[in-house]
Amino acid sequence: MATLERAASANGSSAPLSRREFVRAGALVGAGAVTATSAVVIDRRANAARDPSGQETIRHLTVLNNVPPAVDEDVLLRMQRDLVKAIAKPMEERRWIMVIDTRKCVGCHACTMACIAENKLPPGVVYRPVITEEFGEFPNVQIRFTPRPCMQCDEPPCVPVCPVHATWKRADGIVAIDYDKCIGCRYCLTACPYGARTSDFGEYYSNGAAEGAPEGADRPILGANLPYEERPNNEYGKPWTRTDHQSPMGNARKCHFCLHRLEVGQLPQCVSTCIGRATYFGDSSDPDSLVTELVTRNNVQTLLPHKGTKPRVFYIV
Amino acid sequence: MTSLSSKPGGWKGNDVAAPLPRIHPVPWAKYLWVIWIVLLGLGSIGIYQRLTQGHLPAGYGSYVPWGLWIAIYFHAVGIAGGAFAVGALGFILNIRGLMLPSMLRTVIVLAIAAMAPAALAVWLDLGHMERAHRILTSPSFTSMMAFNAWMYIVFIAVAMVAWVLSFRRGSLWLKPVLCLGVFLAIVIPSQSGAFFGVVDARPFWHSALFPILFLASALTSGAAVLLAVRGALGPEAFAWTTPDPHAEHDLALSYLRRIVIGGLLLYFVLEFAEFSITLWNPGSHSPEIHLILFGPYWWVFWIVHLAIGGILPLALLLSSQRRVVWIAAAIVVAVTFLTTRLNVLIPGQAVNELRGLQEAFSHPRLTHTYHATAMEYLVGLFLVAVGMAAYFLLRRVGAMLAFHLAKKGGAT
Repeated sequence: MATLERAASANGSSAPLSRREFVRAGALVGAGAVTATSAVVIDRRANAARDPSGQETIRHLTVLNNVPPAVDEDVLLRMQRDLVKAIAKPMEERRWIMVIDTRKCVGCHACTMACIAENKLPPGVVYRPVITEEFGEFPNVQIRFTPRPCMQCDEPPCVPVCPVHATWKRADGIVAIDYDKCIGCRYCLTACPYGARTSDFGEYYSNGAAEGAPEGADRPILGANLPYEERPNNEYGKPWTRTDHQSPMGNARKCHFCLHRLEVGQLPQCVSTCIGRATYFGDSSDPDSLVTELVTRNNVQTLLPHKGTKPRVFYIV
Repeated sequence: MTSLSSKPGGWKGNDVAAPLPRIHPVPWAKYLWVIWIVLLGLGSIGIYQRLTQGHLPAGYGSYVPWGLWIAIYFHAVGIAGGAFAVGALGFILNIRGLMLPSMLRTVIVLAIAAMAPAALAVWLDLGHMERAHRILTSPSFTSMMAFNAWMYIVFIAVAMVAWVLSFRRGSLWLKPVLCLGVFLAIVIPSQSGAFFGVVDARPFWHSALFPILFLASALTSGAAVLLAVRGALGPEAFAWTTPDPHAEHDLALSYLRRIVIGGLLLYFVLEFAEFSITLWNPGSHSPEIHLILFGPYWWVFWIVHLAIGGILPLALLLSSQRRVVWIAAAIVVAVTFLTTRLNVLIPGQAVNELRGLQEAFSHPRLTHTYHATAMEYLVGLFLVAVGMAAYFLLRRVGAMLAFHLAKKGGAT
């Protein structure tokens, strides 16, 4: 076997690097390391507000103006009033949270379906599945339903991994996605411990299905999308149509507490639809709101607290 | 003509007998052409499917968002970094067999060529390929993905500068630039490990060992590819740069063989260190380890990775002195070390701490299982063809430039 040996370098020195080369190498490597580190530190520290704030975000809605409060009124009305009150504040003074009473949840999945209808979610995209768990052995059996929307974490692990600033934490606590910026790398999907983000891979419910009559003008059109699948949704207050590979197709998608509904004084669809009144929503910065009242009880938990994500969805157990 | 070699006693100036650089035909060229055409032909089917049907024919979903292409991407990046680190370091340290500028250019061309399939793999994986430029134009460096992308660009730029400088005789900037290149070549595969290590949501990935593990894998597979390429090129390809190309060839292969052997041993030691944790702390990330060792793809670890990718090449490299056997072993390592990426990538995604999520909403893309589809495999073949083509073209361009410079009397 041949042996390794050193030979004289081109400049005649026996050392691998001359002094001048060594200094230059050190300068280049040092400058490279400092530049790279600086880039990370600067981006880590940057926290530029990208949403409107202050007076322009205040809305004075007339919802429920003609419905006087009652002591025993439905919690939906109570939350609606809390919502109107919160909207009347600048965005940065609102802190949206969701509280889910697992003792009341019956696992009907109405919230899941309502969310799909509201946001016109395609196959394979879900914002609010309901996890079903069984405990014990017959006859000592217990079942628990855990709706799992996006946790809108205060320390969202999905945000820093986005390579293009396409997702961020809003001042009101909601983690938003800019569908026009998202490149669809799916790094955020892997970073979320709750699996709250799903990717829109471009599927349609009518994929491969035949539509129309066997022949004539209404003959089957294989693979044609049904009209309802091409209607725009209104996520983030903007119409999005899933045609011709337009966003949100190809994007990461997730629950946003129905931000587009909040802006017009409506509760998130899952809250409005919950038949057991098990899901509550409101502004935790308002000490008189229903959610503040609920979340300060001692039987409230969050999912995977050890992850340090500080979720803004709380579960009453 | 001035000196064509940095080796003392090499071709000297005004030596009319010194040959001009030329592209020496690779001994196995016709077989490589056949392989390439087959890869390209089959791969084109996959590319056609990807471009016309999007991600629909792919096997990944929302709970296992990354599949075969991302594994190939990290493997190719590892080969680029590893080959450059090993080859350039050999040049900087004046190690016989690697200290020729022409060999250095082979290393650089290989490293840059390996980045081509890597970039293509991750590009094809994007949901919005047309927005890929955003990762460079508006990057968030808090993301290891954006940081990696920029490091690749810088690495390629540094490698190209070194390539140009390698033609300049006695340049005092070549080695400093190479040092920066080696620094980047070590950082890049380590960052691939950190890419996963920073993801707290995946307990299996969230390990400080991963950057080192990925670096060891990169050095091993990079050295293996370099050995295979150097061996395939043969001594004649460097005949114009040294009076004793056969000795240089043997020394280069011996050096690379040692690196591959050392890399294999190091990788398996590190892998055992990672796996051994579950022996004493089964709660740490035993579901993932269990999947790797005894899951549906158990054979990927035991047969492809350990037996074919580890024991077999080690036996071949240690027992034989035949160069062709070393080359065969190196090819085996280069191919099978893809499993080191797959066995990190897939098991890490296949387990979720939130139990019952998969059953909460039924859809094929909302499961924690992943099986690569025919389209993904075909695209994988296309990526290999792209890597081969990139190397071939870059080598041609380099050889033409070397010929041009040598005729002008400035080449080394």
